[in-house]
Amino acid sequence: MKHTFLTLAIISILFSSGCKKEEVVTEPNNSQLEQDILNDFASDLVYPNYSEIYTRSNSMNALVQSFVTNPDEPTLELIRQAWKSTRSQWELSESYLFGPVDDFSYDPMMDTWPINHVDLDSLLSTTDALTPAYIATLPTSLKGFHPIEYLIFGLSGTRSAGDFTARELEYLSSLSTDLNSITLSLKNSWDPAQPGNFSVQLKTAGNGSNRFASRKDAFITIVNAMAGICDEVANGKMEDPLIAQDSLLEESQFSHNSLEDFTNNIRGVRNSYLCTFTTDGKGLNELVASMNISLDNSIRSKIEAAINSFSAIDPNYGRAIYYQQVQIMNTQSLINDLKSTLETDLIDFIQTNVKD
Amino acid sequence: MMKKFFFGAVIFSFIFGLSRCRKAELFPEDDFDERLSGGSQTTFDFTAQAFSHAFAGLSGYDEGIHDLGDAHFEQSFVTAPAMFFGGLGPAYNNTSCVSCHHNDGKGVPNAGFAESSLLMRISTDGTDEHGGSIAVPGYGTQIQDKSVLGKFKEATVNINYSYQTFTFPDGEAYELRTPVYTLTDLHIPISVPYTLSPRLAPPVFGLGLLENISEMDIIANADLSDSNNDGISGKPNYVWDPVQSKMMLGRFGHKSNTATILTQVAAAYNNDMGITSSVFQNETTHGQSQTDLLADDPEVPDSILHAVKFYVQTLQVPARRNVNSAEVIRGKQLFDQAKCGVCHTPTFRTSVNVAFPAMSNQLIHPYTDLLVHDMGSGLADNRSDYRADGNEWRTAPLWGIGLYETVNYPAYYLHDGRARTLVEAVMWHDGEARSSVDFVKQLSTSDRKALFVFLKSL
Repeated sequence: MKHTFLTLAIISILFSSGCKKEEVVTEPNNSQLEQDILNDFASDLVYPNYSEIYTRSNSMNALVQSFVTNPDEPTLELIRQAWKSTRSQWELSESYLFGPVDDFSYDPMMDTWPINHVDLDSLLSTTDALTPAYIATLPTSLKGFHPIEYLIFGLSGTRSAGDFTARELEYLSSLSTDLNSITLSLKNSWDPAQPGNFSVQLKTAGNGSNRFASRKDAFITIVNAMAGICDEVANGKMEDPLIAQDSLLEESQFSHNSLEDFTNNIRGVRNSYLCTFTTDGKGLNELVASMNISLDNSIRSKIEAAINSFSAIDPNYGRAIYYQQVQIMNTQSLINDLKSTLETDLIDFIQTNVKD
Repeated sequence: MMKKFFFGAVIFSFIFGLSRCRKAELFPEDDFDERLSGGSQTTFDFTAQAFSHAFAGLSGYDEGIHDLGDAHFEQSFVTAPAMFFGGLGPAYNNTSCVSCHHNDGKGVPNAGFAESSLLMRISTDGTDEHGGSIAVPGYGTQIQDKSVLGKFKEATVNINYSYQTFTFPDGEAYELRTPVYTLTDLHIPISVPYTLSPRLAPPVFGLGLLENISEMDIIANADLSDSNNDGISGKPNYVWDPVQSKMMLGRFGHKSNTATILTQVAAAYNNDMGITSSVFQNETTHGQSQTDLLADDPEVPDSILHAVKFYVQTLQVPARRNVNSAEVIRGKQLFDQAKCGVCHTPTFRTSVNVAFPAMSNQLIHPYTDLLVHDMGSGLADNRSDYRADGNEWRTAPLWGIGLYETVNYPAYYLHDGRARTLVEAVMWHDGEARSSVDFVKQLSTSDRKALFVFLKSL
């Protein structure tokens, strides 16, 4: 009897379990990870990157001011290296062109292309005092990285210290001061110690931020920016001189630094995805890998493939467009493939999995 | 009898069971799906890129044209002669489309700076043969407040605000700032009476859908003589279109003074950047001593002009958010009760457009009637623009307005950006909107909040 009762009990338990409507699937709670990623994006990536732009711009400015009082070849060469060094950090940061860099037009103030050559010549031919305050009022096509590049490298990239006129030295001095001032404003705009800083906006996404109604919006903003720079590199910066077969459409044509610019742009995409800069933070990759390892692998491999493909192209991009069309188009294709994965698969992943 | 009862019971159970199975109704059917502000051309991106998405379903070729237009929308122009992108000025307001329409949205209501997005129209008394404004000698109908080096800007536009604080009955305060616009540094004296009209660059998304609303549907809302005695008239503005060489219904611009996107784009190239095209073949400095005598016109070819036109024609509209929130629903009720929707018409269906299916027969929610209305003396520019008189402004489309702070921070509202918040924007309304504003003033604190939460959902 006891056995009969036990058997009936087991059967009834089994039966009742068979009646269970459906398996309750507990979705992973990634809330803390999502918050960590946004915190680290601001603290371990954007702010340190902007700080580095300022630091390097500061170093360049010190060299420029020294050069202006005593123009010599070694200092000019150091300025050129400092320009490339500062630019490398700026190009890395172009994978997150949102927030103050966009709101307050720091991007066009530093990096408008092309230079207005007619006005630049007019400017140098006037007797206006080319003070930093005056430079600050000029149109963006007369300030920032590219006029400085034009002055220190020259049209052929081989300018010497003795070529500088007094007006050019005056202009260079104020251009450098102005750029340095803008990089400081940019750094301060994300400095967690500054009132109204944008780091707070990102870190409080969906929780008091007046710029990001949700964490989902914050992540989509980050991915949009990553896809945006992929688009600009593959379909603008690389495509325009290639399709026109004209090196005058190359952006950093005086320094022949364009290929390095492009590479740093895509390295910046990697930094955004992995949250790597001088220290490693929690990156978007951790969220993706926790739920879709194949997507994470795909994104990582596409980033690496795009970055590695640049090594097949002549570092002088203005020359490469005339004889390495196949290699360039291969890189464009890889970047566009990455862009497509970011703006479809990764955006879909965020839309689906980031809940608040 | 029993059989009938049994049969009836089965039918009842079936229907009852089905109705129990039915999920909650999420969206009112009469509005179709009110989240879809742009119909099938609605984006669910609510970030700073919310205004920058291309229409869905474009062919590969059309996507290419859209992208080409996008690139040129962002391209900065320089002084001619130049190998590329020459033609800026000699006098101008800004160097690229995107300099004013940041992120395809609005800009900053100041003048004379690189990021400035406010321009100043000017005209003297009278009208031309089409009813348009009369140019001021030496200035045309727009002040170009910048110039390429070696040339001169036409004037400096000065903006000075005075501030006044008001309170709602519950004690909550709001501040309105009143601008005064003056010109200094005139390149030549102005010898005729003139009036000024400030215009802040508006967002450029959804324009293709607005252009595809039938004229008949727009003028159906007009009520020039206020025959229904609701205090709201609504006037269609008819304007001269230089492309089609005829009078047409105005749809674009703060006074509906432009009929088509193509003319709007060509006018912006010409007036704002000093770039000539096949539509506007003369420099804005034409007749001035500094005018550009280069034989480089048109400075923007038709292919690019049309690509940029296609770009702004094919930008999606952001979807609404939180439409099922009780507070938003309450706010929408109040919006209706305040009669805001009489001018800010929530819904239109676009025309059938066989040539362009993406814009065809779409139920859209732009919250504008595209008509001009008397907005009261506080907002008046006292300058007529075709049939729009000095008190009248076009009803601003409200779709996407809840994202202005996200896309263009800080956000500014109204035709000249004087309003810094939606509360200020509403409280500036007057004239035909007087009774609506009075309604808002007497709302309880929670209802007033609900109204603005509704506006933020757009």
